Amino acid sequence: MRHTITFRFCRCISPCLVTMMLISVVLFFSSPSVVSAEQALTGAQILKQVDENLQPGNLEMYRKIINIEPDGKKKEFVLWFLKKDMDKIVTLFVSPASEEGRATLRLGDNMWLYIPNVGKPIRITSMQSVVGGVFSNADIMRLDYHVEYDVADLTEDQDQHLLELKAKTGTVAYDRLKMWVLKEELVPTRIECYAATGMLIKTLHFKDIKDIGDGVVRPAVMETDSPLYQGYKSIMISANLKKRALPDEVFTLNYLSRVKDLR
Amino acid sequence: MQEKSAGLSGEEGPALSWIVAVLVLCLMLGGLPPSPAGASEYDFAIPEADPVPWSFGGRVTARYTWHRLNDDTAGFRRIYAGTDPGSNAHDFQALAELSASWRKSGFQAVLLTHHDWTRTFFDTGWDHAVYEGYVSISPAPNLTLDAGKKPVLWGTGYAWNPTGFLNRTKDPDDPGLNLEGRTFLGLDYIKSFYDSALNNIGITAMILPVVDGFVNTELGENKDVNAAVKLYFLWHDTDIDLIWFNGPDQPHSFGIDFAKNLAPHFAVHGELAVQKDVEIQSVKPNGSTGQITETQVSGLVGLRYLNTHDTTFIAEYYHNGAGYDDFRTAPASALQQRNPGKDYLYVKISQKEPAEILYLNAWMATVINLHDHSFNLQPGLTWTPVTNLEINTRVGIPLGSSHTEFGEKPDRFRPEVWVRYYF
Repeated sequence: MRHTITFRFCRCISPCLVTMMLISVVLFFSSPSVVSAEQALTGAQILKQVDENLQPGNLEMYRKIINIEPDGKKKEFVLWFLKKDMDKIVTLFVSPASEEGRATLRLGDNMWLYIPNVGKPIRITSMQSVVGGVFSNADIMRLDYHVEYDVADLTEDQDQHLLELKAKTGTVAYDRLKMWVLKEELVPTRIECYAATGMLIKTLHFKDIKDIGDGVVRPAVMETDSPLYQGYKSIMISANLKKRALPDEVFTLNYLSRVKDLR
Repeated sequence: MQEKSAGLSGEEGPALSWIVAVLVLCLMLGGLPPSPAGASEYDFAIPEADPVPWSFGGRVTARYTWHRLNDDTAGFRRIYAGTDPGSNAHDFQALAELSASWRKSGFQAVLLTHHDWTRTFFDTGWDHAVYEGYVSISPAPNLTLDAGKKPVLWGTGYAWNPTGFLNRTKDPDDPGLNLEGRTFLGLDYIKSFYDSALNNIGITAMILPVVDGFVNTELGENKDVNAAVKLYFLWHDTDIDLIWFNGPDQPHSFGIDFAKNLAPHFAVHGELAVQKDVEIQSVKPNGSTGQITETQVSGLVGLRYLNTHDTTFIAEYYHNGAGYDDFRTAPASALQQRNPGKDYLYVKISQKEPAEILYLNAWMATVINLHDHSFNLQPGLTWTPVTNLEINTRVGIPLGSSHTEFGEKPDRFRPEVWVRYYF
């Protein structure tokens, strides 16, 4: 009887439908969107998804940097930020007037600053800061985290993923990072940056998850403070993001003086 | 009087009530957030995100220099010959630089004018010049054609650029100084390579005609045509430039420069220049002068290091192929150059935000003549206390014995302050 029922059941379902159902089941269990909500993600997968959520692919966006002094005095800079692939970044200062036209270029570990009056772009280092305050050049022209760091450990803390990251080479600005990541959204809430000596250099706080343009939902605000700058705070607000692919030639020294033409 | 101050009269009451009501309304409206963005802790509005094709701007600079003079030096006797300035001389400068540009679809037109009023011991007067005035067309992102007057600054050195055959003289301790351009027709081509040790190449080619009383008059005689080419390579994370310059009235010049970051906080750079058939004025033992030609080789090697306390160290050794060992045999024209000697060391130590004072940069620079061991010591401060306002101060202190380059400078010391406002 049971055999008969089974036979009849199978007979009434076409082989095509069975195949589709099987594929659906396989896809369901292998879908990243489903896995992202599970604990099964490895540290490397989490880090890659964090990068994808923060700086998705080739893009342009505006960044407002606000340096706040202990007495509350503020100074603002607005940058136009271009990113291509995993290792090419250009920023152009659009305000204030004293900085307008300055541009920076990052190609992997190489960084340059172009000052219109000086003409020739000069090499700068990742630990310097073109805007003063707590943000370094490495923070402003940050490459994807998974490009510069390996995941050394993955644990859980305060109901968030806690990633311990170790720099892949000695040329990276911070030797170690501790990154707290929201489990659902897979975006960081806090990153502590350490020197090779173990000294805490600064802490980055990520806030205000929202659509910052082109449907990209991520923290729009990054605040930083540092034990090296007691009482000072710097804030970076990201907005007006657009996905945009530009030729490689835009990310070259010769082009820095003309990058403003692309706005 | 007491009544008035205690209360309102019948006629004044309604009028004042209206005023108060309007004021309260204004205050309420003023206190309300201007837009939904204001409801957040942060203002997300970035008006600069809507660029316009036109831009206007500029800056004004006021500069004061005090020369504390030393009348017992060759420099004093040369500069102040036949005059009596006393122990002090004062220079004042008021400078306005105005810029305008228009950009649209790969085309841009740029103008930068320079207007300065200067008062020195010798004279007072205005100077007006066009520092930049050019049009650019970019038919493709990797190709640009320029025509007009535009600054040229080649070389990787901070204090000197032996390969900067077309550079104007710069002030290494005032990098914000605008420099006058050169007039040329130029082409710039860039090519990037993916996954290669050679990441980029760039070709810059320029033609610089001379037209009497109009353009490039310092580069030759009327109708001369000068040419320059620069090839740029980013190879193995190293910037490399090959430079060539020639003209009917110019020495045939070749140069190579490089710059490389060896670590996030450490960079090295260098330049080598060869100039053939350079005409120089020589002073013979009997005191007579004559013209000779020679090949001059100049070079520079330097480094830049940033420590964990945000202290930047820049050091450069410079060999000046056109320099003189003994200034007593140098013609007067050579002594007017910034550094007429043969070998120099430049060291600059700058501290970012000392004593946690934001936007303050304190620095100390020195240029040492390695042949006579005289030197110029120059401490300085740069501070931008508020947006768009920059305050600079420095003191030049030349030190050295008699018959040395800096020992014979006309100033005992030279304090200088300048304030710039950008708009």
